Amino acid sequence: MAGMTKTKRRARRAYRKERLVLLAFTVPALALYISFFIIPALQSLQYSLTNWNGYSATFDWVGLDNFTRALTNDSLFTNAVTNNLKFWLIVLAFQTLFALMLAVFLFRNFKGSALLRGLFFFPTILSSVSVAYIWKFIYDPNYGLGNDILGIFGISSSFLGNDDTAIYWIAITQVWFHAGQMMTIFIAGLQSVPQEMIEAAAVDGAGRWQVFKNVTWPMIAPATSIVMAYTTIQSFKAFDLILGLAGNPPKSSMDIMSTRIYTTFANSQYGYASAQAILFVIVIVALNFAVRRIVGLTQPKTES
Amino acid sequence: MALNNAFTRRRILQLAGVGVAGTTLAACAGPGASNGGDGDGNGNGGDGGNGGEEPGSGSLDPSLAAGAISFAHWRGEDNEAFAKIIEQLKETYPDVEVRQDITPSNDYQSNALAQIRQGTVGDLFASFRGAQLTTMIDADLLVDLTDTGIADKYEASLVSEGLVDGKTLALPYQLVFNQPITNEEILEQAGASELPEDWDSYLSLLDSIQGLGITPIAWPGGEMGNAGQLFNCMIMNLGPSDDMCARIEAGDLKVTDDWFLEMLRHYQELIPYFQQNATGTAVEPAQQMFASGDAAMLATGSYHIASTRALGATFPIGMLAPVTAAAGEAKYVGVHNATFALGVSSVSENPDTAFALLDFLSDPAIAGQYGDDTAQFVTVKDVEYTNEDLSHTSDWVQKETLLAPRFQFNNLDIRNAAEGACIEVVGGKSPEQAAEDAQQIIDQQIGN
Amino acid sequence: MGFKIGRAGILFVYAIIIIVPITVVMLGSFKSMGELFDSPFGLPESWNAQNYLDIIVHHDMGQAFINSAIVTLSSVTLTLLIASCAAYGIARLKGWLSWLIFGFLVLGMAIPPQANMIPQYVQFDRLGLLNSLTGLILIMVVTGLPVATFILGGFMKTLPNEMFEAASVDGVGPVRSYISIAMPLSLPSIAATSIFLFVIQWNELLYPLMFIQSPDKQTIPLRLLNFQGEFLTNYPLLFTGVAIASIPITIIYILLQRYFVEGMTAGAVKG
Repeated sequence: MAGMTKTKRRARRAYRKERLVLLAFTVPALALYISFFIIPALQSLQYSLTNWNGYSATFDWVGLDNFTRALTNDSLFTNAVTNNLKFWLIVLAFQTLFALMLAVFLFRNFKGSALLRGLFFFPTILSSVSVAYIWKFIYDPNYGLGNDILGIFGISSSFLGNDDTAIYWIAITQVWFHAGQMMTIFIAGLQSVPQEMIEAAAVDGAGRWQVFKNVTWPMIAPATSIVMAYTTIQSFKAFDLILGLAGNPPKSSMDIMSTRIYTTFANSQYGYASAQAILFVIVIVALNFAVRRIVGLTQPKTES
Repeated sequence: MALNNAFTRRRILQLAGVGVAGTTLAACAGPGASNGGDGDGNGNGGDGGNGGEEPGSGSLDPSLAAGAISFAHWRGEDNEAFAKIIEQLKETYPDVEVRQDITPSNDYQSNALAQIRQGTVGDLFASFRGAQLTTMIDADLLVDLTDTGIADKYEASLVSEGLVDGKTLALPYQLVFNQPITNEEILEQAGASELPEDWDSYLSLLDSIQGLGITPIAWPGGEMGNAGQLFNCMIMNLGPSDDMCARIEAGDLKVTDDWFLEMLRHYQELIPYFQQNATGTAVEPAQQMFASGDAAMLATGSYHIASTRALGATFPIGMLAPVTAAAGEAKYVGVHNATFALGVSSVSENPDTAFALLDFLSDPAIAGQYGDDTAQFVTVKDVEYTNEDLSHTSDWVQKETLLAPRFQFNNLDIRNAAEGACIEVVGGKSPEQAAEDAQQIIDQQIGN
Repeated sequence: MGFKIGRAGILFVYAIIIIVPITVVMLGSFKSMGELFDSPFGLPESWNAQNYLDIIVHHDMGQAFINSAIVTLSSVTLTLLIASCAAYGIARLKGWLSWLIFGFLVLGMAIPPQANMIPQYVQFDRLGLLNSLTGLILIMVVTGLPVATFILGGFMKTLPNEMFEAASVDGVGPVRSYISIAMPLSLPSIAATSIFLFVIQWNELLYPLMFIQSPDKQTIPLRLLNFQGEFLTNYPLLFTGVAIASIPITIIYILLQRYFVEGMTAGAVKG
């Protein structure tokens, strides 16, 4: 008996030691992340309660005034949030749709599939600055390709010059930019769906759409949630693309949350900009939870 | 983490004073579009001393020039012109080495300024006119040059911004006219023997240009920074006083006032004379339109004459600002601005050499050479230009022009609201609505 | 049959949508400004490589290229090393602690860089790491950790635990398991993560803009900004820069593509 306990105790000690070593594996990442990412973030949190202008030696604590101001008395901020939500909805819908569609078409190998996958991924490789330049050129109302194409249908647009639609034109650019990247995630998800399940469903007489709806879609739930989370974060961080396309500072029709925060910083309202940044994080986290919930409802979990 | 414990509040603030310049990054859309975000001058906290001392007096002696200095500016396109001048400087002072630290204008506010404060670059440095120069002066970063008498080499009326309380702190160097440039061939064809100096004859000139099948005005309405140059001219004769923009920012005047609405209605009248879909046009296509002769005017400024030439234009180029007044009532016929002001850094370890370079640049022959090479005017007195475009338009230096009013705004959001209203009117919004929306933003900004 | 035709049609249209802008860039890099505006689609009047020479020699793109290569290669390698360790620890720890660490690290993806930049700038200034490639590498590693942990953690969690337990019974400690079991099995997902990191870090603009002052330390995206002159943006030159900048990352993509897709298949998707 005594021997048993001893063995057990030794095993437990070994287990505990092992867990400590495993914990140690996370230490370098945690140490770097806390020192250079979390601590700076906490400092911003602190500034958000002040009226610090960003350079003078003094400031006042203003409590939650900055937050009240952003939420109730700043039409520029409200405008940026609205624009950002429009932008996000369009990008999320179309980018996910295109990425999924392309992935469905390309996940099996056929002649040219590798080439097309590479081609569709290519825009991702370019920097936001380059993409912005390319599309600024396309959207020019007088020389750009955009109106050449619309001209075929006998119409023309001022593109980014139209305050009602400018943000959607930028959304199109964003989808062009990143749909290929998201496609690769879907391809990976689709390739992991066991072929037998699809065949079995087809044998049962299910059509292509039904197979997709009942078998494939639930099976690719993890890929979908990665794509949606990533897309959401990207549409809120599409900062250099906007500055590149819309100029700096952007017109209010193209101002999104990240560019607004940036302009507020630049405008010597450091404390206020920090408060805006905190609202930014809250919005992203909340939207991610919401999206996860909604997608989860259409995709009953098939695996743990 | 231990690192952070070492911070005291005061220290964090001092350091952040340096740091914050970084956030302003590309905040300034163009020359003079600078704003905010400037530290207290001894931001790196390591040297302790300079904050308390008065920056150097007039003990500068260019004849002592020797050793290496840094010349910080954002004028990438002037690189070669300055390099040539530096070579010439070396003929007089063989022991001098000058390194140009050039940061693109959009990043100058963020990157270079932090370094200038720390003394790592910019023994001689450029500042944007307006808020940036003011902050540099407030931060005691500029050596008082009064005793050197260097200001006497400049046109007094053009360098006033650098002269504060009777002290010479910085010298606005490059002079631009922020008003439309014109294709004189087209204007002549349109029968403009004389430049219109009132609104009605201006509009009838635009009509005759349009009659030729040519777009009268190419206006980069797609970008706030460039679109706003026209605002300078449109407002110059309408404001109740010359500091109208500062007063809008102070809440003393409103963009819903009649005079501002009148300006917005003038914008409305210009709509048919801009290129199609003008609110979506970036500056480069607008330049191309002008350079290729598809448009008679380019509504930016004299600084685009050289780049228009680079695009292959061969026609004679003049300037013409829209005058919004009735005949005989115009106060101003145009707008001028100094894009950058040069000053010697008070944290420089080699101010004598920095001053020697500034002194050299202030020589009429050298300044003229710089003007010719860059195709831009300078504020130095008695300069003769051999560049044809400059000599052709140099009569503007003597004309009645207003110092560009848009740079009176220190709050970027307020400036954008006021200028944005003009763009929105061109986009189809009613002047009243645009003004009201803009005033709401301005009120919110003033309230905080 | 209908599906195949529909598929071919859609793929064709999408391919055009991707190709056309890229073609304009590639052709544009051989044109003059006027030519570019007059006929964006047309072939250049002459195929001279003046712009390419100009960029490499005159605008010192060579140095920027070297800087970008140093920074990207180092930061991708370090990020992968550190993140794979963390992912391994997280995957094997299981339980609430594992979830807490994972969630905490991944939260970093939602924090806007603008919110952190000033305090970070202050820190790096204090450490003397501003205007240095070392500082840039450090900050890139820190900002790359959340996304790398997100993908790698997802993968490593799917590695069968029995494998590690068996190894443990045989007296193989966690460190050796990491080297001889987890790493080799994770190679595909590491390839996948590395292409993600390459794309992000090769193109990173905000931090270099903030941290780098000297021209000789500028990276490629920073250099490209220079073509946006104060008074004139030189599109042809800029497009040339874009073309040059995309070459290395294209090569890396081609090299890693096979692993990349496999890695995503095996890993993140089951996570």
